[in-house]
Amino acid sequence: MKHKIRKIFRSPLFLVGFGIFMLMLLMVLIYPLINPGNPLQSIGLGNFARPGTYVSLYDSVGSQRSVLRLPEADSKRVASLLGQEDRVKMAYWLDVTGKDIEGLNINDTEALLSAWKTHYDGKERPAGMTKADRNFYERLNKRLVAASNAPALSLSETDPASGETVEKGSIGKDDYVNISAVANVKTLPLGTDNFGRDVLKELVSAAGTSLVIGLIAGTVATLIGLWLGLLAGYLGGWVDDVIMFFTNIFTVIPGFVLLILISYSIGQDQRGATTVAVVIGLTSWVWTARSVRSQVISLRNRDHVNLSKLSGHSVLRIIWRDILPYILSYVIMAFILQVSSGILAEAQLSLLGLGPKTTEVPTLGLMMNWAMLYSAHLNGSWWAYFPVIMVIALISFSLNLMNTGLDQVFNPQLRS
Amino acid sequence: MSNTPVMEVRDLTTKYITRFGEDIYAVDHVSLQLWEGRSLGIAGESGCGKSTLALSLMGYYFPPLHYQSGDIILDGQNITQMPPDEVRLNVLGTKIAYIPQAAMNALNPTRRIIHFIQDVVRAHIPHMTKNDIRNLATERFEKLGLPKESLDKFAVELSGGMKQRTVIAISTILSPQVLIADEPSSALDVTSQKMVIKMLRNMMDEGMIKTMIFITHELPLLYNVTDDIMVMYAGQIVEEGSAREVVFDPVHPYAKGLMDSILVPEEGMRDTKLAAIPGTPPNLKKPPAGCRFAPRCKYVEPRCTGINQDLRVLRSGRASRCWRDEDELRRKYASER
Amino acid sequence: MKGYRKYFTKKIVWFMVTFAAALVLNFFLPRLMPADPVAAITGRLASGMTDATAVSRIYKQYQAEFGTDKPLMQQFFTFLGNLTRGDLGTSFSQYPRKVTDILGSAIWWTVFLQLPAILVGWLLGNVLGALAAYIRKGFDKVLLPLTLFLSNIPAFGMAVILLVVFAVNLKWAPISGGYAFDMIPNASFDFMRSVIQHYHLPFWSIVLISIGGQAIGMRSMSIYELNADYVKYARFLGIKDRKIVRYVFRNAMLPQVTGLALSIGTMIGGALVAEIIFNYPGLGTTMYRAVTMADYPLISATTLIITVMVLLSAFLLDILYAFIDPRVKAAQIN
Repeated sequence: MKHKIRKIFRSPLFLVGFGIFMLMLLMVLIYPLINPGNPLQSIGLGNFARPGTYVSLYDSVGSQRSVLRLPEADSKRVASLLGQEDRVKMAYWLDVTGKDIEGLNINDTEALLSAWKTHYDGKERPAGMTKADRNFYERLNKRLVAASNAPALSLSETDPASGETVEKGSIGKDDYVNISAVANVKTLPLGTDNFGRDVLKELVSAAGTSLVIGLIAGTVATLIGLWLGLLAGYLGGWVDDVIMFFTNIFTVIPGFVLLILISYSIGQDQRGATTVAVVIGLTSWVWTARSVRSQVISLRNRDHVNLSKLSGHSVLRIIWRDILPYILSYVIMAFILQVSSGILAEAQLSLLGLGPKTTEVPTLGLMMNWAMLYSAHLNGSWWAYFPVIMVIALISFSLNLMNTGLDQVFNPQLRS
Repeated sequence: MSNTPVMEVRDLTTKYITRFGEDIYAVDHVSLQLWEGRSLGIAGESGCGKSTLALSLMGYYFPPLHYQSGDIILDGQNITQMPPDEVRLNVLGTKIAYIPQAAMNALNPTRRIIHFIQDVVRAHIPHMTKNDIRNLATERFEKLGLPKESLDKFAVELSGGMKQRTVIAISTILSPQVLIADEPSSALDVTSQKMVIKMLRNMMDEGMIKTMIFITHELPLLYNVTDDIMVMYAGQIVEEGSAREVVFDPVHPYAKGLMDSILVPEEGMRDTKLAAIPGTPPNLKKPPAGCRFAPRCKYVEPRCTGINQDLRVLRSGRASRCWRDEDELRRKYASER
Repeated sequence: MKGYRKYFTKKIVWFMVTFAAALVLNFFLPRLMPADPVAAITGRLASGMTDATAVSRIYKQYQAEFGTDKPLMQQFFTFLGNLTRGDLGTSFSQYPRKVTDILGSAIWWTVFLQLPAILVGWLLGNVLGALAAYIRKGFDKVLLPLTLFLSNIPAFGMAVILLVVFAVNLKWAPISGGYAFDMIPNASFDFMRSVIQHYHLPFWSIVLISIGGQAIGMRSMSIYELNADYVKYARFLGIKDRKIVRYVFRNAMLPQVTGLALSIGTMIGGALVAEIIFNYPGLGTTMYRAVTMADYPLISATTLIITVMVLLSAFLLDILYAFIDPRVKAAQIN
């Protein structure tokens, strides 16, 4: 046994899978310590804040200022105002009015701006341009001029007693604050979702829940499958016939159909994460039962089992001592597969709107479901769904890698 | 009988290279001669390199088995020096044929026997028509007493003994000079076993094959089948002689042990296990420095663990690998009885 | 043919038995659950109503519609009777449309999407797996982990990624639906073109997910076969490697047919969820709408039809298998 375990840990596939899995597990365990709090709490108003670091505008106004004169500050400021569409339109104007824009790169803000400044004239009336088009360019030009001039902004405060607005100071374009001096800074590595929740925090918590769901589903399925397989394989006869009859039926009747029917009938209010996990387990024991049975059949006439039978040991003892140890590797492999398919089943169920009820915990499937309901995929909020897909894929990838590694150790034929 | 052997093997050494790059010499400086009309038996426990020797004799090596050194002379040509494709085309199946250990699974389960025979024949005679091949196969099957209906069957439709005899017929369809049979009968029941052996002898007598190597772990079987016997241990030949000599008057303690483990050389005792020699063959990754049998030998002396004795010709004209004198050994064997 | 008849009879009987079991499960499972679906639906419909008699009237109406006021066995026989007449009840959400009417078109969208996609995925996967087994070096090191990773992306994930990359960003394909939203299904050329444009993304996402699993299965099957005794024997008879490789792949592919029959349920399940992402007018989307609208008769009918589809395809694959693998015939004779 020790030898086998050493061999397993020498299999590169197993090691990579194990590493990825442990990394995710550590993340699930440690991240909540670093960033405690309820993962379902809405911290943002409005949908889908981009990933990044958020600095309190209010606090930064009051923070200690320094004046920095950075050479590229102006063009950066203007550049941030110019969308890709604006740049294309600027180039179009220059082209239509017959200016020389040979070799002009529209992503080179400085070159584009200098061309624009030298050539733009609001009075020009390029052919085929409507009044609305000309107005657009006029507005764009104003914005650009304002941005490059960058007049100081004045700060004012309303006196609560008199209701008078009093000027308190101004902010110039060269004023900076040190980010560490700002009291409230929040980094949201994966932004917020449609409810304004911190996606990373939610994701870590969801990964944890989904792992638990997978584990419960896997345990339930493995226990049922293991016992049915053991009984069918070891006892044979009519017990085998009956068990195999049901096993064969449930092999062809798709498990997810049963899952849908049961989940729907349970009703939204009753569906906690645990319930969903148990239901998944109840509908996916078939494969374990089948493979355990065939293993047991090949074992039951081995010498050591016969010896045990002759010694008058009880059926339970024979199964426990003489059969179970030999099929353990298969059972473990089947269990790993069940865990990963359990996680997937939860996700699919949630996407159908039949997942765990939404008020308690986030799961990977629910996050995916919310992202789709709020069209995150159509409005470019990749952070709301892509990390979820990747986490599901990575969990099941790592489990499958471990399984392949185990398979190569236990079935060496695949390795040669 | 001519005075040159059909096939001569000189100092053949082949090795397995494991995944970790270790060399395992499973056939270690083996020499043998095959004479027309005489069959050679090779005996030994499992793990002694018998099957590897069978594979090595064909001059066609693929990983993990590799050629190391030595010659295989067939028809005046050294086939170990031929390019593999030439060996495949001109030696395998046409000059040397092979019957595998697990003949039960040797046939492609999804191909009819006749189609497989077509593949075999066409690999060597590309332009032979289907009709000619069928005629050849039918004629051969009839001659060997096999039903010609099985030509159109799949392997799964044949019984175990029938499958084995069909495999033998396919292997020899092109009348090779040398037939290498690796435990062709060990998985069969007594009746089928007898039929297989009768068939092999018959083929020798009819001249369908010139000579044969028969490999088995069942010594008494060899006595009934082959003219000469070689005993193999840990990749080396430890004893060789005529079947009668090796079976009734073994010299090397290993050969003696093998014989003793079978009390009566009759088929009824086939199932008796080789329990007489305690221990197992050595790990060939690190073979013992001296005589490879020394760790298990009852008659071990200090010199046995130092240097490995070469195969030497004894006064009685046979060859053995033991340091001790043959008569001294015979006396010891007699006193123990 | 004699050997086959026994096999086919066995398979047909088995198909009938599983079909019966599926019917029983489909009918009884929801009814054995603690929750009362009629009450749940009434509750949702009547939310905001305070008049107890009105609520009770709605409840009674649905009870009668479902027949839930009658004993369970009687309900079951009514259900069977209706079923033989092709009546699966009336939809709640699209009242008074018949469920069969709604599903009638959805079935064909799903069949024409999934059948070709799963077959293409199966074929490509097998070719890739066979290549991986044969070439091994490099191929095995790079492509195997990659395929393994790809095959672990869930079906809906693949669908979303393809949708975002090719429809939203590159605009190569439309975002959702089975045809342009301003069209009415007809036999015109324009309509067909629109259908094909909408077909690509769902099709390829199903193909891509199917490839991975099949390739991995085929690879280990081929490696297993490459080590088989008949390969060694054929080699030592001087048969060319190219011919032997043909034996091996044919033999490795056969169990893959059975494998497909056994896994088709899971594959269709994944593909149905992928349909939702594309809002494809098939059974998956219908099921999703039915769930969100609490349309109980529609859900029950959809699950029944999906089950029947899966059973039928597994049955057909079994029949096909009998013709391509001689071992089946031999097993029946002996």
